[in-house]
Amino acid sequence: MSKIMKRTVFDLPSSFRITFGGPMVLQSRTAHNVRAPRIKYPLWYLQRERAKDDQQLTGDNRAFVKEAVHDKFGMPAVIHGISTYDVRSPLSEDSVECLNVEWNPKLQRTGLIARKLGNYPMWLDNGKSVLSTLLQVIDNHVIKYIPPGEFNPPRKPYSCPNHKKPLGCLLVGAESADPQYFTKQYCGLFYREGMMPKKYLGRFMVSPEAALQPGTPLLASHFRPGDFIDVRGKTIDRGFQGVMKRHGFHGMPATHGVTKSHRRGGNVGHGGEKGRIFPGTKMPGHMGNRYRLHKGAEILRINHKYNVIWIKGIASPGKTNSIVYLYDTILPLRKHKSPPPFPTSKVADDDQLIDSYKEHVYKFTDQTITYEEDK
Amino acid sequence: MSTIFAARQFSTSAVSNHIMKLTRLRVVDNSTIGKQAMAEGKPPRCIHVYNKKGIGTIGDKIMVAIKGEKVKAIIVGCVKEQKPNIPRFDSNNIVLIDDNGTPLGTRINVPIPIVLRTILKEKTFSKGADYTKLLAIASNYV
Amino acid sequence: MLLKTLNFHRFKCGFAPVLRASRLFSNSPPSDVQQPSDESISGKQVKPERKSVVPSNSRFIYPEFLPDPKIEWRNSLREKLERMDMIQRRKHIDIPEFYVGSIMAVSSSNQHAPNKATRFVGICIQRLGCGLRANFTLRNVIKHVGTEMKYQLYDPTIQKIEVLRLEKRLDDELLYLRDAPNEYSTFDENMEVEYLPEGAPVPVNPEMVKLKPRPWRARWERKNMKGLADLGLEDRFYERAEELATPWEKYDLMKQYRKTIPEEEQKEIFAEVYSELHEVEVMRKKLKRKKVFIKPTKNV
Repeated sequence: MSKIMKRTVFDLPSSFRITFGGPMVLQSRTAHNVRAPRIKYPLWYLQRERAKDDQQLTGDNRAFVKEAVHDKFGMPAVIHGISTYDVRSPLSEDSVECLNVEWNPKLQRTGLIARKLGNYPMWLDNGKSVLSTLLQVIDNHVIKYIPPGEFNPPRKPYSCPNHKKPLGCLLVGAESADPQYFTKQYCGLFYREGMMPKKYLGRFMVSPEAALQPGTPLLASHFRPGDFIDVRGKTIDRGFQGVMKRHGFHGMPATHGVTKSHRRGGNVGHGGEKGRIFPGTKMPGHMGNRYRLHKGAEILRINHKYNVIWIKGIASPGKTNSIVYLYDTILPLRKHKSPPPFPTSKVADDDQLIDSYKEHVYKFTDQTITYEEDK
Repeated sequence: MSTIFAARQFSTSAVSNHIMKLTRLRVVDNSTIGKQAMAEGKPPRCIHVYNKKGIGTIGDKIMVAIKGEKVKAIIVGCVKEQKPNIPRFDSNNIVLIDDNGTPLGTRINVPIPIVLRTILKEKTFSKGADYTKLLAIASNYV
Repeated sequence: MLLKTLNFHRFKCGFAPVLRASRLFSNSPPSDVQQPSDESISGKQVKPERKSVVPSNSRFIYPEFLPDPKIEWRNSLREKLERMDMIQRRKHIDIPEFYVGSIMAVSSSNQHAPNKATRFVGICIQRLGCGLRANFTLRNVIKHVGTEMKYQLYDPTIQKIEVLRLEKRLDDELLYLRDAPNEYSTFDENMEVEYLPEGAPVPVNPEMVKLKPRPWRARWERKNMKGLADLGLEDRFYERAEELATPWEKYDLMKQYRKTIPEEEQKEIFAEVYSELHEVEVMRKKLKRKKVFIKPTKNV
């Protein structure tokens, strides 16, 4: 459609073209005293994917490259239900215990990177059914820690320019992948920590006390059933949409003399002094594909074998199989009441505990629900 | 009968099955006024739903126009789709009540959803209308 | 064309023909490109010699184990976790084989009831959903009022699901019973269980339903229902139905592919699930046999 439009506009005969009499005036509609932040990308914003190049390798050579990869990083393995590589960073050995800091509510822990698996119903002990969303923590490892002094992002936290709480930056990666597919630059991020390159990276602001050694694995047991978390993800991309779908306008009547404006928004401005369109007016435009935060979702159940977290509700952003970031909630009344695993949970030695549930959630291994008769 | 034929003259779209203003309903108790209205083929019409949505469901109080009078009633069964474990009926059933919540009839001849027991108890207040008398005259629960 | 088929139905219902079981599958989802023969239907009752062999009719007995074919919603791990939960629930409650058209009784705990439990008997008119969302609707006429109840198959408040009469009907959905006279959906609450002989195929009830005159809840002449007797409409209704019919859709292979789970995947799923399901079934059969065996000894 747009192509046709363009063609019709530009193929107009020259007699139709509008010519400006005077010199061109460049308009600038932004305030002059505000300087846009200079874009300075963080160190992990690198070219990631390598251009595909077959290099005309023979079968033998290909096998040799594969063997070299396995020699260096370990063999492919299925860990917690994800096909990954059995690699352990030598740095992670004395990681969690080294800082023996007591948790207090002012400390900020790291978050996790997860994949949204979909929804299905769960039941409570009173027979009520609730819909739950499944989030799988996918092979998370700490990649890098940047202490507060060194971390200098181009955009400071908007709300408080003089940030009192100095926070460090923890870089977390998810899902190991074959290094052949990435650029040398990108693989260099993981080289010193002895990690495989990760498909997904996430930045989490943490208190210096909650810093972790690079190479530390992060598990679903970082959270507990009954905790509240915030889920950040990219909403479903719906493309260019009208006001009825994008903002829930009512549209206009189907009849009563209405022509060609059944789904239009109507008036957008005022007259006189206010004779302009105010900034932020709701209009048609691109809908979705933005990061949004689902705050205060309650954890109903955690499966430690597959690292899956069930949260209550189906409002977390994104499609099935999309990547989301999980944080401790920022809602003041739903913060941790008792100390959570700090700075993170340890890898459990016994594989006995598979599922842990929140109180009053029906376990499928339980007997049928019956109610006690009234007296 | 004539109304049915009149309705056949034009095409009908899918029915929403909502109970709202001007919905025709079915009286299921044995009150004289209700029985007469049903026998004459002039079923009552809903003229108000006492909730904020304006669409009634099981346990809601409504006002109906029946034989030229305004009478209050309680919905005891709907045609529209219900949640699991809550019955759905083939007709929109109501029971006529007075201002105190006392039913005008003495017997209900159709099955009543069990949820109504809880819903009506919750709606009853100590000094307001007592709707639980309706439960006493029901003969069959589903 | 449809007019002809409908005429054919009218013609047929006069004879009340005995239909073959395989006839039923022509209306089942398009995955059934290979129509199972009568032998495969009875395959469940005839015990397979090796336990690992999954009966080919599993997808009819346990349809809710197959995931939603919508590709945007699929995730293999979620489906696996869902199946594990379903099997856990099945260990506590016997969910029998049933079809649309079977007459069932469901006992469930209900916190609103005075004795905290209820029982509902009716004909299954619809079966929907997959995984833990699977549900079915029962219909019965109680005191001359049609009553329907929807149950979730894996709802933990359900205490018992009984199949009083195991049979199929000519259609996959019997929603037209809402527009039929009450006799078609009236069933006795104290009905006794009718047992089928071991190894017998699931019988198909070829009952033709005669609807009440219009207005209806749907335009049944356009739905191509097999279990409906002559609708008694003017010709223009059938002509319009024929105009709107899409008979070419059964040749749309891509559409069928998107709507169904491929056969290889079905086999994989049932191979994973079947051993546990079979174990549960065998345990239950043993218990049942014990009960059956005790009774005659008492009489003697």
